[in-house]
Amino acid sequence: MTTRPIVSEPAENLCEVTFDSKLEKRIADTLKQYPTPRAALLPVLWLCQDRYGWISPGVMRAVAQRLGENPAHVEGVVTFYTMFRTRPPASYVLQVCRTLSCAMCGGKELAEHLTTKLGVGFGERTPDGLFELHAVECLGACGSAPVVQINDDYYESMTPEKIDAVLETLTRKA
Amino acid sequence: MPKLTIDGRVIEVAEGTNLIEAARQAGVAIPYFCYHPYLSVVGQCRICLIEIDKQPRLAVACATPVADGMVVRSETSDRVREARKAVMEFLLANHPLDCPVCDQAGECLLQDHSFDHGLDTSHMLETRRTFAGLERRMLGPHIVQNQNRCIHCSRCIRFTQEISETAQLTYKARGNGVYVDTYDGTPFDDPMSGCTADVCPVGALTVKEFRFRKRTWKLRSVPSVCPGCSIGCNVWIDHHEKVVYRLSPRENAAVNATWICDYGRFLAESLNRHEVLRPQRQIDGQLQPVDWADALASLGEVLDTASSLRVVASANLSNEELFLVKTLLGGARRADIVVPVWTGEQRRMKNGSGAWLQSLDAHPNAAGARRLGLRLVDHGGLARFLYGAADVTVILDPLAHPFLETDEATQLLRVGTTIVFARLEHPVTRLASWLLPTPSLACNEGTFISQTGAVQRFAAALAPPQQSRPLWSILMALGGELATEELPLRSPAEVFAHLVQTEKGFAGLDWETLAGTTDTAQRERYHGG
Repeated sequence: MTTRPIVSEPAENLCEVTFDSKLEKRIADTLKQYPTPRAALLPVLWLCQDRYGWISPGVMRAVAQRLGENPAHVEGVVTFYTMFRTRPPASYVLQVCRTLSCAMCGGKELAEHLTTKLGVGFGERTPDGLFELHAVECLGACGSAPVVQINDDYYESMTPEKIDAVLETLTRKA
Repeated sequence: MPKLTIDGRVIEVAEGTNLIEAARQAGVAIPYFCYHPYLSVVGQCRICLIEIDKQPRLAVACATPVADGMVVRSETSDRVREARKAVMEFLLANHPLDCPVCDQAGECLLQDHSFDHGLDTSHMLETRRTFAGLERRMLGPHIVQNQNRCIHCSRCIRFTQEISETAQLTYKARGNGVYVDTYDGTPFDDPMSGCTADVCPVGALTVKEFRFRKRTWKLRSVPSVCPGCSIGCNVWIDHHEKVVYRLSPRENAAVNATWICDYGRFLAESLNRHEVLRPQRQIDGQLQPVDWADALASLGEVLDTASSLRVVASANLSNEELFLVKTLLGGARRADIVVPVWTGEQRRMKNGSGAWLQSLDAHPNAAGARRLGLRLVDHGGLARFLYGAADVTVILDPLAHPFLETDEATQLLRVGTTIVFARLEHPVTRLASWLLPTPSLACNEGTFISQTGAVQRFAAALAPPQQSRPLWSILMALGGELATEELPLRSPAEVFAHLVQTEKGFAGLDWETLAGTTDTAQRERYHGG
């Protein structure tokens, strides 16, 4: 499995945002599927996070303008959901499950291993900007606990050895 | 109409009324934080829990419409009292309880309800949640935010979404960490921003200009009308020891619901400004103090002997004052009277039915002048009027029109005798032959007519400072000096009664029942609450 790194747009490019034609088309298609523009806010934000890697205040304003909402409302929504990123992420975002099933199957040790291995605490990133570590609640894959989600991919039945190998591959690719 | 029982009191109310309003009509006060009569109902604070017969669970009174035969219990129910205690304990779990240093103290719903419905103990051993950096910050030019005190009622957010329609405020983050903020921290510059501090039930949002200037329980409130424009928002003048500390909105569903704009709100400080404080007369190119008796006697003579008399009145004057001017100077003395008006900056206000009112001009009483049959003039009309010649010119209010500040106007007013009534230093006060001190709206009483035609009464909060006297009282005294039959009137109320008899536009009105005489005890309903 090859997890693709997140390519995030630097903050200085996202102060004033104009959607390119490809993103504009995806937004227009999305809007067609919802009764009101407001209802399409979450999917449109996902499209933007997909495109830019994160959601800057400039992106929020552009989305608000596109949907006819106030930027304050969009920011309220973005900050409510923890999965929307409000600052540029590292290339690989590691989310370690710490809920019961994973914790009992070695997730706790796995999480500790990762903090030592990467030398960062939860919510922090490595100095080279490659990895970012988060402790999260149930990822819905208890059958193959413990689970680590890296970007959009699940790495299941992990052990410290297995995760070391994964990290090594990802580092080499970068 | 549905008939129901609340705490043993039977009441009949209109269909669709919620239980908080129904209880209020029955004389039962149900506590609330997030509910506001002019905002949408969200039912999130849970302090208004009540017990309804035949319903197993307690309900929130704000979101429950009345139904025929309903039997509701508030404070008479043990379950309700228990539930409210629990809600209070939750609300206070993170509230800092810094009442001694909080400026909201005295008009704080959390304080009041804690006293009436809360426990004096708490199960909380943990430290309180705090918001670093949000304890004391300027949310906008007028609003100071202390997020630690916020109880998340969302009234301020709903105000900007539903009333001022700027939708500038929002909740950010989630759960325990929710806080109120603007988009990307931009300044909260809503033209009605002060109202968010009014609706804030606690000290989370306070008004910078009023903060720490006076403890609220020391303030006395007098009903008045905002002098800022022709909309005529109803206000309270909050004062203490001869100082006006703030203007706050006074409920009137037809005009301003429970709101005022920031421009009107911050006129409060200007009501304290008095620069002309004694009668003066120009002698040898200098204004010299004279005493009132001499001034009035001499002025009587000047007016009686004037071969031609012209008067620049003002749409800032009350109906009573305009009427006295019209009768005393316009009648037998045949004075030529004009009332200058100008549009000024556009103001707007939302009334209780959610409709915007747009100001027509910058004065509170242009409609009154019109109804009294006085001649209203614009900039050009005023200039033409002043270019005409007259023996004696009377300026009743230098702030009547910005044209009076111009060199052109002052040149024209140097000819003949100029009698000026003023409160503040102004180019025309310097050239006055006679200068007479009149106080601000805070020291005056009378009526204004709003642009929609409502006759609204305002009361005097303060005594006029030093030797200044309200214009109506000067005019009445002057009436005694003039060689015409005397008007036997001694107060604005008597002038108004006379107006009702003589002016068609005022027929049938009664001073006592005019808007402006609402019960002051009602104020907690929309202010602070």
